[in-house]
Amino acid sequence: MRIIVQNAKCQGHARCAAHAPHIFKLDDAGYILPGNIEVAEGEELTASRGARSCPERALKLDREPCSTS
Amino acid sequence: MENPVPDHVPPEMVRDFSLFTSPGMSPTPNGDPHAAVACVHSGPPIFYSPLNTRDGRGTWVITRASDQRRVLQDTETFSSHRSIFASALGENWPMIPLELDPPAHGAFRSLLNPLFSPKRVAALEPAVRERAIRLIDGIAASGTSCDVMKDFAFPFTVNIFLHLLGLPDDRIDTFVGWGRDLLHGDDVKRPAAARTIVSFIDELAAARRNDLLDDFMTFVVQAQVEGRRLTKQEVRGVGVLVFVAGLDTVAAAIGFDLAYLARNLKDQELLRSEPGRIVAAAEELLRAYPTVQLIRVATKDIDFEGAPIRKGDYVSCATMIANRDPAEFECPNTVDLAREDNRHATFGYGPHRCLGSHLARREIVVGLEEWLARIPAFRIKNGTAPITSGGHVFGIENLILDWS
Ligand code: HEM
Ligand code: SF4
Repeated sequence: MRIIVQNAKCQGHARCAAHAPHIFKLDDAGYILPGNIEVAEGEELTASRGARSCPERALKLDREPCSTS
Repeated sequence: MENPVPDHVPPEMVRDFSLFTSPGMSPTPNGDPHAAVACVHSGPPIFYSPLNTRDGRGTWVITRASDQRRVLQDTETFSSHRSIFASALGENWPMIPLELDPPAHGAFRSLLNPLFSPKRVAALEPAVRERAIRLIDGIAASGTSCDVMKDFAFPFTVNIFLHLLGLPDDRIDTFVGWGRDLLHGDDVKRPAAARTIVSFIDELAAARRNDLLDDFMTFVVQAQVEGRRLTKQEVRGVGVLVFVAGLDTVAAAIGFDLAYLARNLKDQELLRSEPGRIVAAAEELLRAYPTVQLIRVATKDIDFEGAPIRKGDYVSCATMIANRDPAEFECPNTVDLAREDNRHATFGYGPHRCLGSHLARREIVVGLEEWLARIPAFRIKNGTAPITSGGHVFGIENLILDWS
């Protein structure tokens, strides 16, 4: 599973990081770091909770098994 | 009344509703202004309220949370530039960053973000907790009843805030009085309080320019945006906003939360016996009892979900309305302390998302944790009634609790 991060929509609510700081990493101002997030096996539930907690809808779940990049 | 509905507003879109004048909005003993506004969801998603600002202007009212997000995220169409504070003084300067739109907003916001970031707030937590414990221990030692607002919520939150700003806390009562007059005062008290706050901030900035300290105003007078120092007017815009935004909001939240728990003993006992639930519970109480109405100004004509919004119209996004939207929250009028996916609008949406949100959340959680750990089962004292009010910022004046 992968989380698509739309940085332009992030407004620094930090709700994602409140659920899972190790998955959703923030910069010093409290906004999410750029780049999509590959979710490790076993972390899917926590990661989707975190993604669903974003008030701005900046995080999207991509459940397609990731192609080898 | 001299606020006729503008010609472009179809009469059938006008509703007799207002955060200032509807039932339950004026100061009411045992009132529940949040429940009173939730009733708009039985009507149309957007309507026009002819009298929905303090100075008697009409606004469009956006009721759906998803539409509020669209408005607040689209700063090109819906501007935040309106000098609400200054216009009360017959002046025209923006509170910063609130009344600046992107891209100008971004430079100032980036400057301030690190001061209120989650990391910075985590570092402040021990001091916040110590302050809460000291106050509550004092209350517990002196009897079995107190006025939460006067004895805990205000001294707790305002003290933390004044420390952050580098202001002396022997003047808490003065500052709280200014805030009360500004937010809830009449037509005489309001501009007088605004004027007092502006001179206070101007003088504070001047003092820090002469004598640098390690505090917020020193930071602001020294800070640079786009390679230059802030002008005096910009320093004032930042100082006044942060002062006003942080003075009363967290105290009101704590008051509404403890009032809920005083009336719902099962929930109170649940949180007391399982304090691990307090973080999620505080989030739900923030959803159920938000305090702020956001106002935007249309920069151009736009037909928005069937509403003919015209350039210059005011558009209201009231967080207390969004948070009771049944399309977004299951059983929105029920407080469910374990609610999941709680993406409430309490701190706004879009680039103006509350700068103090991380601090506010920490203060509320720490306040509830320490209160519940130290005060046994509490109720609203017999014969007393908390007075609540609506308006631009919802408030609770008094909350006499009893645990005898
Ligand atoms: C529970 C307490 C609080 C609530 C409910 C709250 C709510 C809000 C809301 C809804 C906004 C958005 C306004 C808009 O977009 O028009 C906002 C903005 C703001 N808040 Fe708070 N606030 C709280 C506490 C604080 C505190 C403690 C501070 C002090 C640092 C603060 C500072 C600010 C500032 C500076 C802005 C403007 C941000 C910008 O325009 O970029 N707030 N607040
Ligand atoms: S919850 Fe959303 S807005 Fe907040 S930091 Fe995470 S991605 Fe950004």
